[in-house]
Amino acid sequence: MSESASFARRIDVLAEIFAFTTAAFERQGVPGALRADVDFVLEELFTNIVKYSRGKAPVAIEIAAIADGVEVTLTEPEADRFDVTQAPPVDISLPAVQRRPGGLGLHLIPRLVDSVQYGYSEGERCSRVVFRKTSAAPSPGAAGRDGGERC
Amino acid sequence: MEGGGETPVVLSGRLDATQAVAAQAYLDRLQGVVTLDCSDLQYLSSAGLGVFLKTHKRLLGAGGRLRLTAVNRHLQDIFSYSGFDQILEIEPGR
Repeated sequence: MSESASFARRIDVLAEIFAFTTAAFERQGVPGALRADVDFVLEELFTNIVKYSRGKAPVAIEIAAIADGVEVTLTEPEADRFDVTQAPPVDISLPAVQRRPGGLGLHLIPRLVDSVQYGYSEGERCSRVVFRKTSAAPSPGAAGRDGGERC
Repeated sequence: MEGGGETPVVLSGRLDATQAVAAQAYLDRLQGVVTLDCSDLQYLSSAGLGVFLKTHKRLLGAGGRLRLTAVNRHLQDIFSYSGFDQILEIEPGR
């Protein structure tokens, strides 16, 4: 079972996205303890799109229960290629006075989920991020580029 | 959000990109050693981290600091993976 919804590219839509994940988790029996990390990843990906993408078309989110967890797919039409799994590293050892908040969101994504994969379709100008979160013991997630080339 | 001065500031709900501006405006008014009671803070994103970092740096510059108490597991993970557990005083929740 899976369910999907589309969302306009506005920051204030985040509340609708969180309401969607809450309802989808309940309907599909996904453990609620996973939701904060899933919401975090969705917020970082979605706000990145709102801030930096030029497209106007709504962004689609699909949620599907898997064994002990959930698989989430975020599809962005009218997209430029930007592989979120290849974001520049962030030096988290710097003292506070030298810290800048930028880039932390993408740095944290692979650390909060089991896997995250990016795919881009040149023909359709469509990007897709697929990530999985399960109840397994936390460990730095695998990142890759085989998120598919079709939207 | 409520408190300030000698009283811990109580954070509740979700500190995400839609709440960050209001949270920053509130915390910008505080001075000294500011304690944030996070017992009812369920969720934090990188936008919230940015609020904490900006506030902590401002307070440090005036001889103060930011400290967080009753931090839940989700927040602890965020602070740990971002290295914020090395720059902020953080007290885990039960």
